[in-house]
Amino acid sequence: MARRFGVDVLPHKVHRRRIYILPSGSGLQCALLVVAMLAAGFNYGSNLALGFAFLVASVALVGMHHCHRNLLGLEFDAATTVDAFAGERALLECALGNESGVARWDLEVRCGDAQAIQTAAPLAGSATAGVPARARSTITVSLSTPLRGMHSLPHLELATRYPFGWFRAWTYVQAPLTIFVAPAPRGVRLDASPDARPGHAANAELTGDEDFAGLRAYAPGVSLKHMAWKVLARGREPSVRHYTAAGMQPQWLDWFRLEGLATEPRLSQLCRWVLDAAAAQRVYGLRLPQVEIAPDTGPGHRRACLRALATFGNGPGA
Amino acid sequence: MNTRLGPRPILWATGCMALALLPHARNLPLWILVGVFGAASLRLGLALAGRDVPPPFVRWLFVALAACLLFLQFHTFNGITAGTAFLALTSGLKLLETRSTRDFSMLLFTIYFSCLAALLLSESLAMFGYAVGVCWVANATFLRLTRTQPGPDWRAGLGASARLLLQAAPLALVLWLFFPRFAAPLWQINDTGPAAVTGLGDSMSPGDITDLALSDDPAFRARFAGPSPPARLRYWRGPVLHEFDGRTWRRNAGAIEALPRFQPAGAAYRYTIELEPSAHAWVFALEWPSQPESADLMLTADSTLELRARAAQRTEFSLTSYPGARFVAPLGAAEIALDLRLPLSRNPRTRTLALQLRRAHPDDADLVRSVLDMLHTQAYYYTLTPPPLGGDAVDDFLFTTKSGFCGHYASAFAVLMRAAGLPAHVVTGYYGGTFNPYAGDWILRQSDAHAWTEIWIAGRGWIRVDPTSAIDPLRVDQRLLEAGANAAAGVDVNAHLPWLADLRLRVDALRELWRGRILHYNPEAQNALLRQLGIPAPDVEKLVLVLAGALAAALGWLTWQVRRDLAETPGDALTRAYARLCAGLAQLGLPRAAHEGAESYGDRVARMRPDLAAPVLALVSLYSRLRYGPTATALEIKAFRDAVRAFRPQVRPVRPPGSRVSS
Repeated sequence: MARRFGVDVLPHKVHRRRIYILPSGSGLQCALLVVAMLAAGFNYGSNLALGFAFLVASVALVGMHHCHRNLLGLEFDAATTVDAFAGERALLECALGNESGVARWDLEVRCGDAQAIQTAAPLAGSATAGVPARARSTITVSLSTPLRGMHSLPHLELATRYPFGWFRAWTYVQAPLTIFVAPAPRGVRLDASPDARPGHAANAELTGDEDFAGLRAYAPGVSLKHMAWKVLARGREPSVRHYTAAGMQPQWLDWFRLEGLATEPRLSQLCRWVLDAAAAQRVYGLRLPQVEIAPDTGPGHRRACLRALATFGNGPGA
Repeated sequence: MNTRLGPRPILWATGCMALALLPHARNLPLWILVGVFGAASLRLGLALAGRDVPPPFVRWLFVALAACLLFLQFHTFNGITAGTAFLALTSGLKLLETRSTRDFSMLLFTIYFSCLAALLLSESLAMFGYAVGVCWVANATFLRLTRTQPGPDWRAGLGASARLLLQAAPLALVLWLFFPRFAAPLWQINDTGPAAVTGLGDSMSPGDITDLALSDDPAFRARFAGPSPPARLRYWRGPVLHEFDGRTWRRNAGAIEALPRFQPAGAAYRYTIELEPSAHAWVFALEWPSQPESADLMLTADSTLELRARAAQRTEFSLTSYPGARFVAPLGAAEIALDLRLPLSRNPRTRTLALQLRRAHPDDADLVRSVLDMLHTQAYYYTLTPPPLGGDAVDDFLFTTKSGFCGHYASAFAVLMRAAGLPAHVVTGYYGGTFNPYAGDWILRQSDAHAWTEIWIAGRGWIRVDPTSAIDPLRVDQRLLEAGANAAAGVDVNAHLPWLADLRLRVDALRELWRGRILHYNPEAQNALLRQLGIPAPDVEKLVLVLAGALAAALGWLTWQVRRDLAETPGDALTRAYARLCAGLAQLGLPRAAHEGAESYGDRVARMRPDLAAPVLALVSLYSRLRYGPTATALEIKAFRDAVRAFRPQVRPVRPPGSRVSS
C-alpha cells in the first residue's frame, strides 16, 4: 500500500481513489431481505410490492454512495510522534476537517484491524467521532502500549459505516507514526529516599540563597515566575532568569549508580526520576551506556530523556 | 463496538414497529398484538431501569412459545396472514433482545417486510404512500443510532432520510420499469386472495339487489372506442334467469356455449370491459355481443359472456355489441318450454290477471303496453325497503304491497308474460353508469345493479322490457335520494352535490390511472414501453440491456448528485456570483484587471459609467462585506446572487470621464 501511494503529507485530504468500500455483514443480510421481498412481490404478482422492494434496494445503493461520500474530501491531521509509558495508553490526537456543507457522521480512526482492537493487541485502538458541516473535530485514539520501545505504525485507517451500517468504507492514511514508549515509571521517588539519590549534589534544593546566574532563551513550559519581563518589555527576545543555587550542581540521573538491578527495572527507576526531576523543575542530566544527555531543564529536555529511555537497546530484551 | 441502546431509541423503534404493524392490526389475532407490545413494554421497562436484556434462555423460551402458538393458530407459516403474524412476533421478540445497533438493523428489516406484506394486502395508492412514510421514519430512527453520540438530531435525521429516499426514487423507478417480470408465480400460494367481493349472483330473490344498491364499490368499467351509446342502450347484461319457483329466480344449471343467434345489423359498439375481481364469472356486455376475441371468454346460448375461469384479479376484455341485431332463427321448442314454465300452485291471482289481459289484448305489443300502463297508472311504488312478501310473492306484490324495486317488477312482469303465453326471462346486470371525463371511461358501480325482463316475440326476437321504468317518478321513494343513487329509477343524487360528484370522479380517475399504469404493469406494458422508446421487436434480452443502460445512467446521476452536495460550499456560490458580475461588466467593455480588488474595480466602473454607479457600488460593497466580513450565511449569499442576476446593464459605448453624451 505504502509502495503504491507513497507517504502522505499531513494534513492529508482523502481522495476518492483511495476509498475502499465493501458490504458489511448486515449489508449481506439486507441483500437477502431484498431478494426475499422481490420473491414475494413476483410470487404474488404485486407490482407495488416489487416497487417497494426496489425502493429498499435503491435506498441501500444510495446508502453506499453516502457511505463513500462520508469519507470523501475529509482532511486528516495527526501528530507523527506520540510519547507514552509502557502499560498505559498512547493518546494519538487526530484532527478531522470538513470543508464541505455536509455533516459527516460515524467516522472511525483506527490502528490495527478489528480483531486486534477487540483483543487490545499492542498498538491497536480506535475512536469514533462526527464532524459537522464546515467544522473540525478532534479524535483521540487510545492505543494500548504494553511494551517499551520505539514503535512505528505504517498507516492509520479512517473508516465509516454511515448511514445504515450496510457498507463499510475505509481509507488508509500513509503517515508513519512513531510511538516512543518509555518504561513504566517505577521505584523510589526522587525526594522520598535521600539515600538513593543519584549524583553527588543530589541533596541541593532550591532555597532562598539562589544566585542569579544569567539569562537563558525562553522555552515553552518554563515557569512564568522566572520570565525576564523587563527584558521582554525592551523588545528583546523572551528570556528567563536563570538561577543557580549556591553549590548546586546539575543532577545526574545515572544508570551506573543503579547496579544490582535488571535492565528494565533500572530503566523504570530512571524514568521515575526523570519525571520527578522535571516536575520539580530541576536541572538534570541522564547518563546511560553509550548515551549521555547533558543537564538541562524544560519539556524538550524531558522528552529527549524519556525517548532515550524508550529506545534504550532498541527495546526490551535487546 | 456496539453502543448499548437507551430507552429513547427503543421507544422510537417500538413506535416504528407499531406504524409498520398498524395495517395488519385487523388481520392479526389479538394475542399476537398483545404479545408484540408486551415484549416491547418489557424491553422498555428494562431499559428505563437501566437493566440489560433478559438472559438467552428466557428469550428462547419466548421464541418457542410463540412458534407453538402460531402453528396452533394457522397450521402453516406460509401465506400473507400467517407470514405477517410470524413477522410481527419475530420483530417483537427481536426487540426483546435488541441491545445494540446491529440488533436494530434486524428490526429495521422486519419493519420493511411488514410494509411489504401490507402492500400485498392492499394495493391502494394510500397504502403505498404509508409504506414509504414508515420507511422514511424508520430510516431516520436508524440513522440516529450511529455509533458516535450525539448523532444527527431528529430534524437532521428525518432530512437525511428524506434525501436518501428522494435520491433512491429514480433508481427504484428504473428498476421497476425495466426489471423483467415473470408470468407465473414462483410457488403456490395457499391464500384465497382478497375477501369475497359483492356482485350479482346466479339467483335473484326479493331483496338481493337492495344490498347492492347501497354499495358504492365499482363493479366494472367500460371504455368505448367510438361514441358512447345513449342511456336507453346502456343495459349491461349479466346472468339470465330462467327458472322460477314462485319466489326465487335461478339460472338453469350449466351455461351452454353457443354461436351467436343473431345477424349483426345496425351500429356496432366496440369497447373494453375491465372487471373488478369477483366471485362470479360474468362479463357484462351491451346487447347483443358478437363472438369475443379472447379465448378466456365464452358466449352462452343466452347471448351472455362468461369467463372460463373465475377472475381472481382484474381483467380486461375487448368486446363488440350490435344493439340493432336481428334474430333470424326461431326459438327452439326446449327453450320456449323453459321460458314458459311456471309453478302451477303459486301466484294464482297473477295467472288469472295474465289470462284476462291476454284475452283483452291478443297482440303481443298491446299486451306489454297494457301491463306497463297498469304499473304506471296504479299506485305502484318504487322503494328499497319494501314490506315482506309471503309464499305467493308475486301475488302479494302485485295486489297487496304494490311497492318494491327492480327485482320485484322484473319478476312480476316475467310471470305475467309467461302466464299470458309469451316466453320471458329475467335478466340481471347493470344499467347506465357514470361517465368519468377525467379517465374517459364509464364506471358501473354495484349501486347500478338492475334487473329487467326479455320477452320473445315471434318474428322480432328477444325484446327488452324494463318494467321498473314504467313507474311514475312521483312514486319513487324520496329516501332513495338520501340513501344513495339508483340509476335504474332515473334518480341522480349527484345532481344535488355537483362538486362532490366531481371530486369523486377525479379520485376515481386517479385510482384508475394507478390501477391501469401501476398495478397492471406487466410484460406487455413493458414491451409497449420499449417500443415507445424506439426499440423494435422487444424481448426479455433487450429489456435487460435497457435495464443495464438505464441503471448505469441512474447510478451516474446518483454519483453526481451525491458529490455535488459535497462540492457546493457557500463560498463557491459567492465566488461564482462575483465572477458572473465581472463577466457582465466585461461585456460592457470594462473587464476587471487581474490586480484589481472589488472596491477599486467598482470605483473604476462607476467612473466610466456613472449611470451604473449606484447598483455596481452597492454590489461590490456587499461582495466585500460577504467575502471579508463575518462569515456569510447561505441566505445572504443567495441574496447577493439574486441581486447579481437581476443586474442587467444596458450595453452602451463606454463614456470617458468628462465627455458628454450626445443623443
